[in-house]
Amino acid sequence: MSERLEVRILKRLPGFTLEVAWAAGDGVAVLFGPSGAGKTLTLQCLAGLLRPDEGRIVVDGRVLFDAGRVDVPPQARRVGYVFQGYALFPHLTVADNVGFGLRDLPAARRVEKTAEVLERLGLAEHARRLPRELSGGQRQRVALGRALAIDPALLLLDEPLSALDAPLRRALRDELRAILSEWRTAAVLVTHDFTEAYRLGDRIVVYDAGRVVQSAPRSELLWRPASEPVARIMGIRNVLRGTVVKATPDRIQIRWRGQLLEAVNSPSRSYLPAADSPIAFFIRPEYVRLIRKDRGAADPSHHMNLMEGAVVGEEDFGTTWSLRIRLDAPGAAAQGDHDLEVEVPHLVYEILEIDRDRRWQFSIHRGSIHVLPA
Amino acid sequence: MSPDTLDALALSLRVAVLATVVNALVGVPLAYLLARRRFAGKALLDLLVTLPLVLPPTVTGYYLIVLLGRRGWLGAPLYAATGWTIAFTWYAAVVAATVMALPLLVRTARAAIESVDRDLEKAAYTLGRSEWRTTLEVTLPLARNGILAGLVLAFARALGEFGATLMLAGNIPGKTATVPLAIYTAVQTGEQSTVLVLVAILTALSCVVLVAAGRLGARAT
Repeated sequence: MSERLEVRILKRLPGFTLEVAWAAGDGVAVLFGPSGAGKTLTLQCLAGLLRPDEGRIVVDGRVLFDAGRVDVPPQARRVGYVFQGYALFPHLTVADNVGFGLRDLPAARRVEKTAEVLERLGLAEHARRLPRELSGGQRQRVALGRALAIDPALLLLDEPLSALDAPLRRALRDELRAILSEWRTAAVLVTHDFTEAYRLGDRIVVYDAGRVVQSAPRSELLWRPASEPVARIMGIRNVLRGTVVKATPDRIQIRWRGQLLEAVNSPSRSYLPAADSPIAFFIRPEYVRLIRKDRGAADPSHHMNLMEGAVVGEEDFGTTWSLRIRLDAPGAAAQGDHDLEVEVPHLVYEILEIDRDRRWQFSIHRGSIHVLPA
Repeated sequence: MSPDTLDALALSLRVAVLATVVNALVGVPLAYLLARRRFAGKALLDLLVTLPLVLPPTVTGYYLIVLLGRRGWLGAPLYAATGWTIAFTWYAAVVAATVMALPLLVRTARAAIESVDRDLEKAAYTLGRSEWRTTLEVTLPLARNGILAGLVLAFARALGEFGATLMLAGNIPGKTATVPLAIYTAVQTGEQSTVLVLVAILTALSCVVLVAAGRLGARAT
């Protein structure tokens, strides 16, 4: 795959060091991670607003920065930047904001280009307004329009949805996705929300404490986080720790809370930890199956990784219920008051009358227990 | 009104307007530097500019004599070269008023410039504007009300300047006797009517200035 964007940055600041290297192809690269991980600093380096101590930044074969040799100033980088909170010029109209970067064009061409961008973003009727007279969604589009008007080689977006409240956020996430795919500009987007990262990114680069802990296409990241820290940063639930009983190229047996679990070992990773070594793994709450009591006794040969426990807590998420399960095993529970979080659709919750019936058997397919290499 | 009273008023206005103009030319760039740049000696510059705000005006006036008087650090070479000295001319009143008013403008304008979101300036850079153009097109327009409020305060301070003016310019009727000095003289010589007229005029002007500065300040936020 030809990489459109190559980033290598070392920047030492008081009390914080940013040391990252990653590359991205077509589409949107999302920098994902907790606040203070260095995501915005990376954007500032890409835009030329902050000079790295070491490293190299290449966009579509054009070297924007090469320590000690090249440092293209921000004015000449042709990098569009959508700031957190948008940073629209409050004293200028929507049209003047969008046309701000077009000063070098002849006046007639500038007006034409501004009108074209406003039209494409559905802002034409607001051209004469001031930013403070716009809704959150309109402001986002003005900020996008201002950055896209200069036909940027690279578009940077810093938490573009964080200024909005929840319902609007979802609608604008999809709008933003449509705009980004329509414009086809290489883009780097920063977020600390995994849903946002997954919806908007083609590639996700996971940041933690100034370093990249994983960089992968989004589906690979979702199904195969590279390590326990990545899984925790992603907010994956049921990240658990057990002990290896036996590992082969295609299966791993794990002892956990008195259970012997069998998991699939991903052949692409050939992870073969020694017996008795600690191992981290996760189980997605929606992949834990409840055994129906009206269909006869559970069959261990059919139901893999069978276990039994009680519902000790639950939360209603509208379309789903999240159940906190404590297994029938001695010792402290794995996650505070419970061992497993299990998610069931609302309909299932009603049919099985889980609100009355608190004791259940569970089964987890071996393919749904994901091993996290150390 | 007596001719002396009119002279004092005309002189005061001339001095205050000129001092305000010099303040705008020197003080706004100074405020920008202090708000946005880091450089060696910044703390010292800040201290020097602000000092007249807290020093007794006569002390500031004394330093101005030491600097600009006929035997001063700058004044002596000037006098040797041209035979002219600024001391006891109306220019001295302008210098004294300028120095005394500068901290008010610089502090107000600096706060206004600092309150401009730096992301707006960064956005302008990525859209092709140099730092200079960004200052003119983004920073200063957005800090405008704060800067104007500072200028209004500086004008008021210049109009009311007494101590430093007395030290450097003296109290020569029709030449360096500004309204505050004229009031002092009138009180000393018992010219009640002159005192009342001048006091009333200065009070009214100060009220206008405070209201104007307050309105500009409110709009700046």
